[in-house]
Amino acid sequence: MRNIYRNDWILGGLFALFISGASLFAAVDYSALDAIPVQHEGRKKPFLVFAQENALMLSGKTVVPVGDRKIPADELLVRIWLEPQKWLDRPLLLVDYLPLKEAVGLDPAQKYFSYTKLMANSALQMRFASSGMRSGQSADSLTKKTNELRNRLVTFEGLANGSLYRVAATPTGTQWTALPSHQPEYVALKNAFGSGNAVRFLEAAQTFQRLLGSLSPEDQPASWKIGLEVFYQKWHPFRWAWILYAIGGIVLAATWKSAPALGYRIAWSMMLAGLSFQVLGFICRILIAGRPPVTNMYESVIWVAFGAVTFSLIFEAIYRSRIFLLAAAPVAVLSLILADSQPAALNPALSPLVAVLQSNFWLTTHVLTITLGYAAFLLALGVAHIGLIQVILGRKLSAELTHYLYRTLQVGVLLLAVGTILGAVWANYSWGRFWDWDPKETWALIALLVYLFILHGRIAGKWAGFGLAVGAVVGFLSIVMAWYGVNFVLGVGLHSYGFGSGGFGIALAFVGVELALVAVAVARRYQLCSSSV
Amino acid sequence: MISKTTPTGRLIHFLGSLNFALLLLGTIAIACAVATLFESRFDSKVAQVYIYKAPWFIFWLSFLCVNLFCVTLTRWPWQKKHIGFVITHYGIITLLAGAVIGSFFGFEGNVTLHTEKPPSNRLTTSRSVVQIQGPGNRPPVSIPFDAAAVRPSEKRPHSLRVPGTNWKIVASDYAPELMRDSYLETDLAGQPGVILKMTSSLAAQTLEIPLLLGEPATTETDLFGLAKIRWLPKLPENSTQWKQETQMVFTKFAPVIQSEGSGSGIPVLLSADGQALTVGSEMHARADLEGKEIKVGAAKIQLMAYWPDFAMQNGRPSTKSQEPNNPAALLRVKYPAASLQRELALEMTPSDSGVAYRLVRDGVVYTEGKALPGEEFGTGWMDWSVRVEEFQPAARIAGVTRKVGENEPATGIQGFWAYLDTGDGKTGEPRWIESGRFTTLAAGEQEVRVGYGLEVIQVPFTMKLLSFEVPRYEGTDTPANYISRIEFRDSQTGKIKVAEAKMNHPASWPGGVWAVTTGFNYKFSQAEWNPRDLGETILQVLYDPGWFLKWVGSLAICIGIGLMFYWKPKKA
Repeated sequence: MRNIYRNDWILGGLFALFISGASLFAAVDYSALDAIPVQHEGRKKPFLVFAQENALMLSGKTVVPVGDRKIPADELLVRIWLEPQKWLDRPLLLVDYLPLKEAVGLDPAQKYFSYTKLMANSALQMRFASSGMRSGQSADSLTKKTNELRNRLVTFEGLANGSLYRVAATPTGTQWTALPSHQPEYVALKNAFGSGNAVRFLEAAQTFQRLLGSLSPEDQPASWKIGLEVFYQKWHPFRWAWILYAIGGIVLAATWKSAPALGYRIAWSMMLAGLSFQVLGFICRILIAGRPPVTNMYESVIWVAFGAVTFSLIFEAIYRSRIFLLAAAPVAVLSLILADSQPAALNPALSPLVAVLQSNFWLTTHVLTITLGYAAFLLALGVAHIGLIQVILGRKLSAELTHYLYRTLQVGVLLLAVGTILGAVWANYSWGRFWDWDPKETWALIALLVYLFILHGRIAGKWAGFGLAVGAVVGFLSIVMAWYGVNFVLGVGLHSYGFGSGGFGIALAFVGVELALVAVAVARRYQLCSSSV
Repeated sequence: MISKTTPTGRLIHFLGSLNFALLLLGTIAIACAVATLFESRFDSKVAQVYIYKAPWFIFWLSFLCVNLFCVTLTRWPWQKKHIGFVITHYGIITLLAGAVIGSFFGFEGNVTLHTEKPPSNRLTTSRSVVQIQGPGNRPPVSIPFDAAAVRPSEKRPHSLRVPGTNWKIVASDYAPELMRDSYLETDLAGQPGVILKMTSSLAAQTLEIPLLLGEPATTETDLFGLAKIRWLPKLPENSTQWKQETQMVFTKFAPVIQSEGSGSGIPVLLSADGQALTVGSEMHARADLEGKEIKVGAAKIQLMAYWPDFAMQNGRPSTKSQEPNNPAALLRVKYPAASLQRELALEMTPSDSGVAYRLVRDGVVYTEGKALPGEEFGTGWMDWSVRVEEFQPAARIAGVTRKVGENEPATGIQGFWAYLDTGDGKTGEPRWIESGRFTTLAAGEQEVRVGYGLEVIQVPFTMKLLSFEVPRYEGTDTPANYISRIEFRDSQTGKIKVAEAKMNHPASWPGGVWAVTTGFNYKFSQAEWNPRDLGETILQVLYDPGWFLKWVGSLAICIGIGLMFYWKPKKA
């Protein structure tokens, strides 16, 4: 048996060498399996996406450090699938919560641990047994992290025993199955992989894909959908968007004095191009998931960046002032970078919705409206930053800027009010009550009251442009609380499907920076006023 | 223009001033923020009692209405540019008026329906009441009383009059968490009883478990889903429990296996021509298996059906031809649950002056023995150990209610501390009145029975659950929806209506355009379900006569803000 393989390997190798001259040494192309549909967490997705979600689950990253190399998710998942026993002892599973490591005696300096090591840790096993009883919302963070780690181990087990690789459609129902280890298709793929021959593996992968595709053809997902998702996953349209926004913003700032007309034109086109990439990304997500793209924190951050840029372009079309573009570019870039770089806190996975969100009408009207309100306030924050920086630089806040700020805040107030009311009407249908002081509801109301306070104060003559700018910054902190804080910090209430953890440091840093900016601006203005008197 | 010279005019200008508006907006925002922190730190009840539903907050909101109204008066006579402003401000007043009407004349409640239970006309509201049954066999009378909101204390006791007498029930303390310590009381007419003390240092818990033969509620206890503790007249024979599994095997596809338990784990292969089946490690000719049961280890396997050219037609498995193009076979496997069922249990029975016990894992006894009162034995479930505290051959269970201590698990049972005052200088012993239970208070010879809990009301129609479905996302157990089909029947006219309550699509009674728009309508929204009993559904019920005003007010606010910001009337 061994001999046959060997011969095969040598023959195949010589043959390949003969043809391409170098393919014996070419690395196996793991992406050959990327487009195989896998049934995972309630939908069929390409293997590439399945791989990235699982890699994220195991290691908190989609490119996983193994030894001295970083391997992409699809490679990792193919290798675990085909030679699971080799992965049991590799440090692959993320344990990053220090109190948990200390409690069970794991090396605090180490970040990744192997399955065998964690399973052999009896203190950890005891903790699993007792933390299972105390799950739920009231659980402390140690319990939550313990349960998280247990889920990580369960996922690894499912991968190592193959049961999570549900690639085979069955002729009797919606449930797909994993291939038993004696299934000829699987064995052929495994042998090809074991041979280490790139050409042979590629051929085996293609045969494998064809075979799987021929099972219950009516139960296979449309190939354009799988292709679209692979395309979306590989090309990162939202990444291109922020790169273009950044170029637009930098060009605009660099040419502000020297070549305003040309710079403005370039910035406009860059922003429009970036916006088109965002639209492309949204279209992909809508087509793949069949629902509006605002069902989790990740999607809402991207949507808010999109809204801020859209509003800035509309305002620019009316006022041609350059200020809106200059304000929108940095906030949009920062939001998109945040979404791109924090997959553990802002999970980009397209998961099925909890039943209560299963209503495209209400999702579209309520959530899109309220997040567009956030977007308008984000743009106002950008405009306010320009105003505060002007003050810090010793200039007066222009009447023009005050007017723009007021206009932007108006858009936000209208959308936030309409969105909150739509939410109440939706709650009346789905939860059976109009308003019941749920924290998410209450914070939306608080944010609205804060902005109304700012606008009414201006009418009353309590403050003018500078006060509005400070208000736009402080008001946005209430938006951060309503948007992020309720779901990630308070963690109570009925909007629990949006709950998550992580990113607290970033949020706190953001609040700190904003407050510091306000403090410096106020001090500087006080200094300017007293020196002019 | 309302004159500022008259006192009324000055008052209106003061109440409608922007300064007052700023004060109201600011304080309401701060109060709400504090309330959400309360809710996160404590619970939603605290936030409601001290802020959202507190008199001062309601008072403050009514001041907001006054402010909104007065400010529109100060702009009188209105011009075109005021249209948006007036609509918005009156919209908020209308919305708040709708909320007041809703909270006074409407109610929120819930109802638990089961497909196998008869029609019901009862709803549980979210309002707490005390039920008092006075002397004589009078029916209990309900009096609204929310101890969590009133918070009676020694300093601020709260009196409730016993209907039809001049007696009083005086509440003088409140506890959010109460528990009952049960003990055995000798009762010669009673049954054998035992009290166990379970201890685990790992879970940091100590539990006392009283068990009494007779009623099911006192003979079996679940230890956090970890294990079952049973108190039985005699230990059961170690009879095997059978679990069923069906395997659909194909030549060309992976098998589809559905098991009741964790699965038999027996591999079955069908040969390419469909003529041979390998079951476990033995190969059989298919023809030999038809109508026969074969044994593999302890499991019994039967071939139920065979299709040479399998295809689903009209949702049924069938064969397209007699050629073995796609052979498929359906097998039924019966396997003993004993070897695979993951269950821990402690089974006990009275024995002499102590207990005989048996510890069972996965249907297999791994320890057995006898224990006398005061003796202790380990369970092998984490570090839980059991001590027999007390054994009585003839007893009944009695209990004392007390506050839950600091390190004890929450019970979710609240209650208040109260005594009976019969007015003639006699007061009785105080006791805890727990929610969900009747307690007897006595003073001298006199007695009343007091119950505490959510009010149950009768509605003029009955509800019967016809079916309850939970469709799942493909290949998972995650619910994609919950669908309750309910039959409503008018108790007077006998009119029947069948309606479906789905997520985001509530069912209505009586329904129809008129009832739905005005809110004189019972709306049933899906609230909860029981994953272990798919015949049961819990629906949230809303009857809200303020709905029309809320709706109109909401619309007015949206339109008003839009007009205010984006519509400028042309100057004449």
